[in-house]
Amino acid sequence: MSEPILELRGVNKSFGPVHVLHDIDFTVRAGEVTALVGDNGAGKSTLVKSIAGIHPIDSGEVVFDGKPVTINGPRDAAALGIEVVYQDLALCDNLDIVQNMFLGRERGKAGMLDETDMEQAARKTLTSLSVRTVKSVRTQVSSLSGGQRQTVAIAKAVLWNSKVVLLDEPTAALGVAQTRQVLDLVRRLAEQGLGVVLISHNMNDVFEVADRIACLYLGRMAAEVPTKDVTHGQVVELITAGRSGELGIARPESATI
Amino acid sequence: MATPTAGARPDEVRRHNRTALLRRLHVDGPSTRASLAAELGLNRSTIKALVDGLAESGVVAERLPAQRTGAGRPSLLVLPQPQAAVVMAIDVRVEQVAMAMVGLGGDILGRHSWNLHRRTREPGEVITHIADSAKLLADELDVTAVGVGVSVPGVVRRADGMVHEAPNLHWTDVALGARLTAVLQAPVHVGNDAELGALAEHLRGAARGSSDVVYISADVGIGGGVISSGTPLRGAGGYVGELGHMVVRPGGRHCYCGCQGCWETEIGEAALCRALALPEDAPRGAVVAELRSLAADPSSVSHRLGEFTEWLALGLVTVVNMLGPELVVLGDLFTALPQVVVDRVRATVQQRSLVSRAVGGTRIVSSPLGRDAKLIGAAELAFEPVLGLV
Repeated sequence: MSEPILELRGVNKSFGPVHVLHDIDFTVRAGEVTALVGDNGAGKSTLVKSIAGIHPIDSGEVVFDGKPVTINGPRDAAALGIEVVYQDLALCDNLDIVQNMFLGRERGKAGMLDETDMEQAARKTLTSLSVRTVKSVRTQVSSLSGGQRQTVAIAKAVLWNSKVVLLDEPTAALGVAQTRQVLDLVRRLAEQGLGVVLISHNMNDVFEVADRIACLYLGRMAAEVPTKDVTHGQVVELITAGRSGELGIARPESATI
Repeated sequence: MATPTAGARPDEVRRHNRTALLRRLHVDGPSTRASLAAELGLNRSTIKALVDGLAESGVVAERLPAQRTGAGRPSLLVLPQPQAAVVMAIDVRVEQVAMAMVGLGGDILGRHSWNLHRRTREPGEVITHIADSAKLLADELDVTAVGVGVSVPGVVRRADGMVHEAPNLHWTDVALGARLTAVLQAPVHVGNDAELGALAEHLRGAARGSSDVVYISADVGIGGGVISSGTPLRGAGGYVGELGHMVVRPGGRHCYCGCQGCWETEIGEAALCRALALPEDAPRGAVVAELRSLAADPSSVSHRLGEFTEWLALGLVTVVNMLGPELVVLGDLFTALPQVVVDRVRATVQQRSLVSRAVGGTRIVSSPLGRDAKLIGAAELAFEPVLGLV
């Protein structure tokens, strides 16, 4: 079995007196979609932000591609090849697709932008993801639908040769049909060999795309299981009670924040 | 259809020309009136009449070409309008189902896919999910599909879409065509996945302009599609194409088909996982990731994939000797194989196959369509009867 691309061991994180993440073990494998589920306040977003370097961890170990690393800020994460896509689409409405994808990392030399090169790279990336719903890469982002915007945000992550893409509820702001188009893209990311983490509240979505499900309960990792081994009911139990049959944490009733 | 003894009436001729023109635009994309006239061998005024008729009903649009060549008034560019005729393509795989709405000219307007697990793989569940998703896609895009094409990894009767056996899906005698026609309320055509992959490569992929092509794809099992003299080779009932079940290793591993040592058992996804030291049920992405990392390290390729490469080449020597293609397209999971593997297979086949030597080396390439080949093929299957009616 291939080594996990990203592995967290015994990660803890507190905000003042609030202990948000308790000894979290979490693995992300290349080519798999790992769904991160949990109730509100279970620590999903905090975990993702810790990996992305926005909230540096208090203790614990992060291993990336077999090597122990420390992530102290978003720049460290980006340098390793970790990209994050948020639900509230971090795109600029007044710029076109190419400008957005290269924002802050424009290509060019001698003070001139190499528009052709950037345009080609953007088009190539969209084609590699089989995105055929966007007509022109010079379309203004403001004229795109929610689903198309999310597509651009995700494609941006691929353009930078990321190895791990974290998606924090990428479909929360979308309608049913557009959600499905984005989920389709999420799976194609994994099929390209990237490690994908998907935060979602929607069990149907999770079962449609995820290879493995990691369930957080009050800041603890209740279970990490292959999707094909569990049912909807079991996952809902894990989310709400921290335990389902043999799965889950030993004494959920004693778990506190 | 007119019998050879009867003459063709003018309206039949006109309809035939109209369909030919539409097919040309659908497959090869926008084209000027002048080049349409040249390629179809029709008079310019005939082309004008046809294009005007199509433009009036909104099937095509005309505009001035952006780049002018030569002197004189530029010939108008004729563009197919995707919304004029939309079909639904469905690719049922072992691990997932992918769907897309495809417009005239081959544009994918919208798409969706989902994973299949134990229970959701049952025919009833799959059909229900397809019906739900079809409605969502149609509503979002505001289109109505005029035809449906379905790709299934199994033995399919073309006439009515009866799936006799799809072993990896655990389907036996599923009346997929009839059941989908009932829920989708549009004509449904069902085809074998590899055959449709071959069709897609022939029309829109690596095999454009090649008339003798073999398409070999690896999903979980191995399938083969054959284009011979420009048309699909179907066999009685349309059952041809189980190339993965030619026995290459007598006394080898047991195959679910009842034989031992089928080609599939040596080059299928499970065999690839064994070669890569992954568990046999590793997700597709993990296999691709491993192959990608291997491609970055060519020295270890022959060490880890040497035996696999040998089996792939061995089977292909037989395929090439038997069917004599000018081109072999490796599709689906095989598109992730490192380039050195494809190169080595090509060299081995040329060295060992009489036919390949005779034609000066059969070309063997990776599919540029990748995962989408069967989806695109399913769309073309649905388009075939539609083009005459638009």
